[in-house]
Amino acid sequence: MASSCSQALRHHVCKSSRLLRVHLQKSWTNRSFEGAVCVSSSFALNSAADQQPAVSSPEEIVIPKKKTWSKEAVLQALASTVKRDPTASDYRFQDDPYLTPKTSSEFKLFSLSQESGRNAAKYFINTYPKYFQKDYAQPHIPCLMPDTLEAQIEEVSEAALIERIGMRKVKAAVDLYDQLLQAGTSVSLDVTNQLLDLICFYGDHDPAQENVPEQRNEETEDVQDEPQAKKGRAAKASDLLKATWKEKNNAERIFALLSEPNTHSYSALIRGMVKYGAYSKAFSTYTDLLNSRLKADVHTFNALITAAPEVKEKYNEKWELIVDLLKQMAEQKVKPNLLTLNAVLKALRRCGTVGKSQAFPVISEMKALSIDLSLASYSHLLAIFYKPGAPIQGQTDILQEVMNEVSGKSFTPQDPDDAQFFITAMRICLDTKDMEQAYRVHELLGVGENWRLLGNDFQQNIYYARFFSLLCMMENIDVMLKWYRDLVPSVYYPSSNVMRDLLQALDTDNRLDLIPQIWKDIKQLGHANRQNLVEELLTLMAREKHNQEVQESFAECALDIKKIYDTGDRGKVLLNWTAGSLSDLISVLLAAHRRQDAWDMLKLFKTHNRVPSEELLNKFLMCVKEDGDVNQAVELVQISAGFCLPGTPKLIQRVQQEFELTEQQRKMLSDLEIQSFNSE
Amino acid sequence: MYRRLLININQVRNRLIHTHNTRLTLPSTKCKERESFAPVAWAPCTSRPLGTSSISFSENKESSTSLSEDKGKTPEETEVNAEVNTDGQRNTEMNEGTEISNATLTSQLETEPVVKPEDRKQVEKTKSGKESLLELLGAMKVEVTTVRKIRPSKTPRMSERPDQEPMESTHSMFQRATAEGSQQHGTLNPELVAAVSAAASTLPNRHQAESELLKQLRKHEAIPDTQRRADIGHIISDMKVGKRPNGRSNVRPTSQIRFDDDGKGYTQDRGITSELDGKVFCPTLWDIDLANQIVQATNQMPRNGFEEMIQWTKEGRLWQYPINNEAGLEEEASVPFHEHVFLEKHLDESFPQQGPVRHFMELVITGLAKNHHLTVQQKKEHIDWFRDYFRQKEDVLKEAEAYLN
Repeated sequence: MASSCSQALRHHVCKSSRLLRVHLQKSWTNRSFEGAVCVSSSFALNSAADQQPAVSSPEEIVIPKKKTWSKEAVLQALASTVKRDPTASDYRFQDDPYLTPKTSSEFKLFSLSQESGRNAAKYFINTYPKYFQKDYAQPHIPCLMPDTLEAQIEEVSEAALIERIGMRKVKAAVDLYDQLLQAGTSVSLDVTNQLLDLICFYGDHDPAQENVPEQRNEETEDVQDEPQAKKGRAAKASDLLKATWKEKNNAERIFALLSEPNTHSYSALIRGMVKYGAYSKAFSTYTDLLNSRLKADVHTFNALITAAPEVKEKYNEKWELIVDLLKQMAEQKVKPNLLTLNAVLKALRRCGTVGKSQAFPVISEMKALSIDLSLASYSHLLAIFYKPGAPIQGQTDILQEVMNEVSGKSFTPQDPDDAQFFITAMRICLDTKDMEQAYRVHELLGVGENWRLLGNDFQQNIYYARFFSLLCMMENIDVMLKWYRDLVPSVYYPSSNVMRDLLQALDTDNRLDLIPQIWKDIKQLGHANRQNLVEELLTLMAREKHNQEVQESFAECALDIKKIYDTGDRGKVLLNWTAGSLSDLISVLLAAHRRQDAWDMLKLFKTHNRVPSEELLNKFLMCVKEDGDVNQAVELVQISAGFCLPGTPKLIQRVQQEFELTEQQRKMLSDLEIQSFNSE
Repeated sequence: MYRRLLININQVRNRLIHTHNTRLTLPSTKCKERESFAPVAWAPCTSRPLGTSSISFSENKESSTSLSEDKGKTPEETEVNAEVNTDGQRNTEMNEGTEISNATLTSQLETEPVVKPEDRKQVEKTKSGKESLLELLGAMKVEVTTVRKIRPSKTPRMSERPDQEPMESTHSMFQRATAEGSQQHGTLNPELVAAVSAAASTLPNRHQAESELLKQLRKHEAIPDTQRRADIGHIISDMKVGKRPNGRSNVRPTSQIRFDDDGKGYTQDRGITSELDGKVFCPTLWDIDLANQIVQATNQMPRNGFEEMIQWTKEGRLWQYPINNEAGLEEEASVPFHEHVFLEKHLDESFPQQGPVRHFMELVITGLAKNHHLTVQQKKEHIDWFRDYFRQKEDVLKEAEAYLN
């Protein structure tokens, strides 16, 4: 009985195991198939390796590393598929088509108002946190909740001090520190150092409320119409220098109270002194540090190197001081970082010829310490060799070398000066008129995340202005127009000066027929009220004869321009007629045989107290003669006489000879002739 | 008689295990070669149900033997055949179970012993038609269907009074699957509670035979089980060896693909200051200021919707886009997988080392090991609940000699 039972069992076991094997095989092939699918998708990089059994002995197990994606990985992959649309405006304006900026001023206005709206909301949330306590988000989103701006701990304790330091309340923290000392409680060195950091960082002033004033600074900086890059920087520097390091301020007082200040304390003090312009004091503090047999940290040295050019007069002395500091770093075994390198290079910019000779040794030294250069380093290097305004003496090769070095690399922002590189490089390209390098610079901008390093809108504008000016100067018109269509107005709103460059480029390449199109753009970019630009446009249109079709379009364009002159903006006259602009406009109209319009325009000379040229009147007379309008010819002569033009007699003569006049007209002309003769 | 039967069963079972092992070594060695976590974790899952099913089947057999005691001689052959058949059928089911997930299988197996006393009751109830039932059992094909039919009835009836209703044979496989599927999500507790109470109440009657059989079976079972466990332990120790030497987790390349050892990268909050990787460790006011300056100097405006979403994600305003199947795994992210899978260590302190309680608890942790809906903490709480429960019922269990120490 039992045996039969076991036989039956065995039978079934065999059956089932066979089934098992079949199914398992199926499942394994399925799995590897899934793997293959994974590989084909771009995300899976080495899942194929997982699926390939490759190890010979079963004991040897090598576990593959787990891949960890950043939480934005998918989004980054998706974002990289989106290309810039040259017909669309900036992304931040795409919410509302009505608010698509058309001019650079609109662009500034809209972007700043969007930002200030955000700041206003944040301000209200933070100022009245009690109205914003309801937490709708699940899970909780901390950044949507109001920040606590009021100190929570009331009692006098170290915890309260830490809290005030965390909230960056300088005065409150200093007061609390004093209270603690008066009460006899000692504050730990660590916390005191943090306090020193705070005081030195803000130069013993309470920081202005965050966000709101910061933005305001930017605003004032941005609103200045097309300032030079230097101006912006100067404004920032002056902001910082407003608060200067005061003699015996709280930082120095608290520092003096410390029984055993450590490196951190000295570092905070020196950095604060350098930040607020007390350069020589910083150096004397550094001497104190050495006297108390401490070692400085890398930040201290960076600050001191930044301050070095300020304390010495001569180029050589400046450089010697820096070298001295670097040697001390080596003695104290402080490893320099990228910021050290950039500080040295920045200081070298102010060392004149010494800079040129020392820049490359410094860089090779830093490279030996395996410090990778950031864009700021290259930017300083370029600035050392190419002084703005200075004559260029065959130094183009340095830009080329730099471009050879950086081409195709993607840089991450590491230094606040990184954002200066593209502007500087493009400035040099413009100065040296080097189109090839300009293209390389622009190509570098498209690599990876480099576009972030172009900087804010203001800097972007400078960069594109330089690039575009160079294009206008160097490139043939078709290539230039291609770039023009690509950049304007989606990323760049050209200034009126750049538009004049564009017109000149059209002129040199004999493509004046495009002027009506450009005029439309000029109008849209808000430059229609620029007198110079409009007059130049009219001159170009009037200068040469073109075929009929082009002349027609010119005439249309001229009438459009006339409208701008006529309609002032809210009663304010935007443009003033000059004799030149009027005569140009009339000649454009005459060339298109729009005599009536031209006739109307001619009357404007009188109303605006302008005097037409003889040449124009002659031209007009030619046109009248073609049509054979006798009356108008006589009137023209009358007008000419009205202005007491010296050429009136000649005009009268011509009319008398070339037209068939009535008796009355003949009499009138002879009267005018006598009049003009008398006046002479 | 028992002994012979047992020997037979064990022989067959061993053979079965061996065959399975040979079959399984094929994928399992593959697993090793594949060197990834998932198949290794999967390997014990495939081998496990075999052990538990064998236990359940032995239990089932006990019930049948008790039946036979009641009713005199019963055709044991058919009985055993039937059982083996169910076993075999289960195996085939398991094989088919590439589509049926392991989880459902285990839940099935988990509830297996729960069903058995009921089945017996059912059988006792329908004693009038017992002859016909035995005939049905004799015919294997029909028997298979009855087994299938018996199982479905358990899940819905569990929540109600199990004794009252007659067997419902209309349940289809599909319904069972769905019922089980829905039950997986945490209503496991009442079931197990009911099972324990049922087991405890029925134990005093036939405890001797039962414990004897269980002991015998466990002796044989212990060997492959420990072997297997040792094997896994070996694998894990290897994992650790391979894991530690490269301290890569600190070094995070800035590119989006980062390699490291454990999955803590996901929950890490990397703000704007992450641009200065070296600075993150001790951000003083100056470092924060530097980071701020850099952010101010560079263009941070999003160029398209995705970049805006990236910005929102960094700010914590947007739900993280799931980049793997561990999305939203914040609290469990730091828990390694073996904490989930190897729960034996939680049984050691206050549970009896052997006996039905121990046996039951082993089934519990097997189920828990495969439950991916619970956190490790919840699993511990689950086990703690049973610890409390058995402590409360200690008197009753001792009286029933089910609480062996």
